[in-house]
Amino acid sequence: MFQGLAFNPFTLPPEAEALRSEVRKFLAESLDPASLPNSDFNAGDSSDFSKALGQRGWIGMTWPKQYGGQDKSFLERYVVTEELLAAGAPVGCHWIADRQTGPLLLKFGSEEQRKEFLPKIVNGDCFFSIGMSEPNTGSDLASIRSTAKKVEGGWLLNGSKIWTSYAHTNHYMVALVRTEPASENRHAGMSQVIVDLKDNNVSINGIKNLSGEEDFNQVFFDDVFIPDDRVVGEPGNGWAQVISELGYERSGPERFLSAFRVLVEYSRELTSDASDDQLSVLGRLVAHLITLRRMSISVAGMLENGETPITEAALIKDVGNAYERLVPEVVRLSQTRNPSARFLETLNQCVLHAPSFTLRGGTREILKGVIARGLGLR
Amino acid sequence: MSYLSEHQLLIQDTLNRVLGDLCPKQIVDSAERGEFPSALWGALSETGLTLTGLPEEHGGSGGDPSDAMLVMKGAGKFSAPIPIAENFLGRMLCSEFGLSAPKGITTFSDGSFSISPDGMLSGSSSETAFGRWSDSVVLIARHGDESYLCSCPCEAFEINEKNNIAGEPRDEISIKKKLLDDQFILAEGVSRRARLLGAASRVAQMSGALESILEMSVSYSIERTQFGKPISKFQAIQQQLATMAGEVAASIRAAQSIHLSRELMIELDVAIAKARVGEAVGICTDIAHQVHGAMGYTLEHSLNHRTRRLWAWRDEFGSEKDWQTEIGRFFSGNASGNLWDQITLLA
Repeated sequence: MFQGLAFNPFTLPPEAEALRSEVRKFLAESLDPASLPNSDFNAGDSSDFSKALGQRGWIGMTWPKQYGGQDKSFLERYVVTEELLAAGAPVGCHWIADRQTGPLLLKFGSEEQRKEFLPKIVNGDCFFSIGMSEPNTGSDLASIRSTAKKVEGGWLLNGSKIWTSYAHTNHYMVALVRTEPASENRHAGMSQVIVDLKDNNVSINGIKNLSGEEDFNQVFFDDVFIPDDRVVGEPGNGWAQVISELGYERSGPERFLSAFRVLVEYSRELTSDASDDQLSVLGRLVAHLITLRRMSISVAGMLENGETPITEAALIKDVGNAYERLVPEVVRLSQTRNPSARFLETLNQCVLHAPSFTLRGGTREILKGVIARGLGLR
Repeated sequence: MSYLSEHQLLIQDTLNRVLGDLCPKQIVDSAERGEFPSALWGALSETGLTLTGLPEEHGGSGGDPSDAMLVMKGAGKFSAPIPIAENFLGRMLCSEFGLSAPKGITTFSDGSFSISPDGMLSGSSSETAFGRWSDSVVLIARHGDESYLCSCPCEAFEINEKNNIAGEPRDEISIKKKLLDDQFILAEGVSRRARLLGAASRVAQMSGALESILEMSVSYSIERTQFGKPISKFQAIQQQLATMAGEVAASIRAAQSIHLSRELMIELDVAIAKARVGEAVGICTDIAHQVHGAMGYTLEHSLNHRTRRLWAWRDEFGSEKDWQTEIGRFFSGNASGNLWDQITLLA
């Protein structure tokens, strides 16, 4: 069999399952049952909620205790994240800091950076945005043009990032920027820097998405001074660092749970008089979901064992995103005669957000390219 | 790293060796023309692989049902034209419900049979897999509301040879005969159990066949040159094969869940796997044939052995729609919204 297609069965350990009931209890207490939850990780934010989560020790929980973490396993974190998403909790504020920034700093950051940022992230006091895409740079990430020029004691950053979720409310961005001019080796000369989003030389313009919400932005840098100690890792090592984030970014439950609340509402709608056709739609979607979850847990097991499942992660995101797109499409054609307002609102919100599922975190086309490489085709 | 035990790796090695030697394309072709592959069956019997996963005290080779799934997956990968799944199914039912082990090659017949309390069996089945090549038939007969599991030598049946679209024997059989006392037994819930074991077997076979057509399609795309380069270098082809890889990986994972199941959950795991793998078949066979072009549409290329079986197997022991409906019934009507709680109970 091909490399990267084996998702060996893996069972979550008892300590992870034990945590599940604690998280459920917390969610039952802290979420308003009348609200319309949305399990798309990018569609709800509450700094109060993130703060409360931090107090429980559920942000940065895999990080070492010396930085405020809990030294928990990746599998325990898996349970917490999937419970949050399934319940439709507003996780937008801390999501990126927890998933990407923390692990990045632990792997490549300086001791000073870890001490400064990790405890604040863990407490739910410090939120990060991703700074990768630019107006002329999407899938072809190596074509970025934002540039930091060396000056005394630091770097002067100019350029722009786009599609930056929560830049208007978050505190910092980790931006991938050019620190040397582009050369024949397209992947050389890039660095990751921590940008203070409250800096006077940073300006942030909201962009409305097609549902009318304004959670992403274009961010402009106009001579933003980046002190030397805000460069993450070695200058020039940015590309390798960005790639190493992807295994974590692409294989998690957020890649197949975005449409989950539609399924919850749909299962509520199907009472004893549901037709076989309607039941089969629910059954089809649940069969996909359970299989995806099993694959994702297999990858969580690999990550916990220190493996780097790049192809597997791309594959979960590709199959998972296709599933997320399928959910509203088949449910809308099999709804009951008098659907509840709650069901319809959830379905419509999912339809409106669905185009983003197969774009963010690597487009469908990029992911299929990664899988094709795993198959030995390129 | 493999998740298989050493014992299972040994089974896999032996199986691949026997199938590699004795199940080339010509054997599948000649079986479809009506010739039983006796050398292949003989070799698998000698190594005990036809009885894998069946309890020793019941004449089996021992091990657990997950070993049998492994054998069936391998057989599916080679399109082995033998009743490996039916032999397991018939014998497993006899073992579970307390009937003595059938003699010789055994098949299971899903049909309409009735039995009187004194053992008079009558009825027929329109699609008995490998009936003509079997020594014993295991079947379910009704008497009122009761189900009986019966085991009967093949000579007792009238057999009308028929094939499925894969050229596998699916014979019409009929019988009117008095059974001996040790040939039938009251067996509550046996129909459900047979359907589950049958579906699980087809899942294993399909997962093997899907793995095989992915390998064939990738190899072919690398060998085949058009417009001056291997077609594997075209993004359009790469993207199709990547889609197929996702479906195959999901199918294999769904199939693996069956033999890891806790006893209580096995029904749902089988349902999920049959539904998921059945859905993957349409997508994967479409892509495999598209990549292979006209060559794959010929009888000459062995792709057709795999794809025709996949198309037949996805409909046997319940189509994906049938199983989806069952899953839907289990998860529907969650007024309290505890769908997620139920999902996380399945490891």
